[in-house]
Amino acid sequence: MERSRKQESSRKGGLYILWEYKLPYLFLLPSVILLIFFLAAPLVSGIYMSFQKISLRGISEFVGFRNYRLLLGEARFRNNLLFSVLYVAGNVGLSVPLAYAAALLITGKLRGIQFFRAIFLIPFIVTPVVSAILFRSMVNPSFGPITALLEMITGKHYIILADSTLAMLTIIGHSFWRSFSFIMLFLAAGIATIPTELYEAGKVDGAGAWARFSHITFPLTKIHLTIVLLIITMWTLQDAETVYALTQGGPGYSTEVTAVRLFKDAFINFNLSYGATIGVFLLMMSAVFMIFYFKLMGGAEHY
Amino acid sequence: MEKIFKKRVIITVLAVGLIMWMGLVPSLAQKPVTIKFAHFYDPAAGAGHVMNIEWLEKTIPAFEKENPGIKVEFEWTKWDEIDIRSIRDYAAGIPHDVMMSSPQLMPKHFIAGDYLDLTSYAAKWPKARAEDINWTPVWGKVFPLGIPLGIHTRTTVYRRDLFEKYGLDPGRTPEDLESLVKYSRFLTRDTNADGKTDIWGLGMYFGASRATIELYFAPYIWNFDGKLWDPETKRASFASEAGVKATRFVYDLVNTYKVTPEWATVGTYDEVGLINFLNGTYAMFTGFGSYWIGPLEEKGWVTGIFPPKSWGKATVADVFVAATKPHAQFTNAWALSINKLSEHPDESFKLIDFIVTPERLIDYPDAGLPTLLSLWDKPELQTDFYQEWLKAAAHGKSMPYTAHYGELADTVAACLQEILIKKAPIEATLKKFEDEYNAKYAGE
Repeated sequence: MERSRKQESSRKGGLYILWEYKLPYLFLLPSVILLIFFLAAPLVSGIYMSFQKISLRGISEFVGFRNYRLLLGEARFRNNLLFSVLYVAGNVGLSVPLAYAAALLITGKLRGIQFFRAIFLIPFIVTPVVSAILFRSMVNPSFGPITALLEMITGKHYIILADSTLAMLTIIGHSFWRSFSFIMLFLAAGIATIPTELYEAGKVDGAGAWARFSHITFPLTKIHLTIVLLIITMWTLQDAETVYALTQGGPGYSTEVTAVRLFKDAFINFNLSYGATIGVFLLMMSAVFMIFYFKLMGGAEHY
Repeated sequence: MEKIFKKRVIITVLAVGLIMWMGLVPSLAQKPVTIKFAHFYDPAAGAGHVMNIEWLEKTIPAFEKENPGIKVEFEWTKWDEIDIRSIRDYAAGIPHDVMMSSPQLMPKHFIAGDYLDLTSYAAKWPKARAEDINWTPVWGKVFPLGIPLGIHTRTTVYRRDLFEKYGLDPGRTPEDLESLVKYSRFLTRDTNADGKTDIWGLGMYFGASRATIELYFAPYIWNFDGKLWDPETKRASFASEAGVKATRFVYDLVNTYKVTPEWATVGTYDEVGLINFLNGTYAMFTGFGSYWIGPLEEKGWVTGIFPPKSWGKATVADVFVAATKPHAQFTNAWALSINKLSEHPDESFKLIDFIVTPERLIDYPDAGLPTLLSLWDKPELQTDFYQEWLKAAAHGKSMPYTAHYGELADTVAACLQEILIKKAPIEATLKKFEDEYNAKYAGE
């Protein structure tokens, strides 16, 4: 009966469905309106601004792809995009595997686990800019403990934030420190939902720890992994505040990720058109990462 | 009967209305106007900032006492964001009243239109008062969008005690770039023979900040007769021959002679400059600014310099005019402007008028050199310290008049960092950064 009704609906088309199920759609309407107002409208307006040249007086002029052409023609901007990818890859590559391991640790029945849970939470509750400033003082060339430690180990004096590679590693390290606890808690919540019967059955079948992980835990947490990868990627990609507080994009432009460039252009130098154009690039990068993760984790929804 | 009742009701309503109106009008008249005063002094940013806050906390109640109908509330924004905040808020329709502003950003304000033209207010000043202020080198840069609070010409600060200790006459200081290098090399010391420099001959700052172009690049490119930006073609011109010479000069200080620390490229200007100078890290530091005198006085390295006294003396720390050619000393000043969206422009100007008087400005820590000519007659400003500083002001020069000054400053700072840290080829790197800037902003 139900099937024939559905077949009839699909034959009659979208408007018929809308009329037939008008009540649920009516309930959805306020959310749709809010979404259009707060999400779609600024998005469209941002994209529209990227095709304009906006003067400080607020007078705008349509310039087509001029802003895109100028930005892509800049070695600085191409580096901004590259550094963003490096920043995301560094943070995700470091924090996700380690946080996964920590999640397995805190969901296991180990002694002193309450202590570890509390410790792991600390980075998550510190304000980002405050933690960035703390990190900056830790790598201070005169009195920073990390600098002193490096000097003790290698016998060489380091000016960490004056070295392009070390500065990039510092921003990745800081971001890892902040993301780690969130990823761990999120994955631990996923692991905790796996029924213990599955592990017991595995044990009965003679599955070892690795087999139980690769055949039970990992497949059943794939969806959690996909979500957490997406969230962390977006956070890292859009992170301007901590990078700016740590290095201001320096030395030179060597840690100037796309979000920092956007912040500088739009909010420090008040070049709204360039800011909007960089925002569109950030949006495109987010979309690419999203597609990549869904492809990578393809099939996660089947579990 | 009904008519009488109606009459009574009308009379009662009118009487009540009259009483209410009589009560309301005076209360409305007495309600003080509140104006906002946006500054950037941060108590957490060190002694210099604290002193300026103390000055504000003394000045504003005095203004309120003299003008009982006006209350002043403080707003705070970081020093290098206050101008952009005004422009941004103006675009968003958010009003402010009195705001601190800087001359370098006036072209941007001029285009954005966020500050009120103060010509009509200043025109009401008596001639003597106008002449007392409009002589200053910064007046032409900020007026009519602002009124300057001082003349902030940068000099080089040095340690007299270290000069003496190493056999130099503290009364004789470098007069040109060649002797500056000689002095710097001589004064750079490894005092405990551990292979590390403990005293740097010449401190500088090359961070990602406006300070880099203003204090450590502009004076040298000007010294070599170059320009940062050409007002005729409206193009950046810092990659010229003079730009290459200026860059080579600072590059050699850091990498060849090693008289300026490599870590001058990281951290904030205050961390690298003032804090390290007070910690005894430098024999000389170039870029000395007015807000140093308070902390130096507190440290006991100068006495009677701030607030100025006729017997004032630079005992340990002293200043000399930066060893560049005349008219190559970067000069600016903080100014006071009125936001165009202010609902109380008259009251706001009253506050500016109150502040820009000899009585208030004489002990304003951030003033640098007095903006009012009349102040120079005071005996407390006849000391060697202030007279040397006056010489620097006479050589003062401002930043180029472009609305994209912020971008120019960012570009030069990033370019210098790349050259100093990565040891990138000077000519090619300057050209690359100049081209990138010009591709976007040339002609504007």
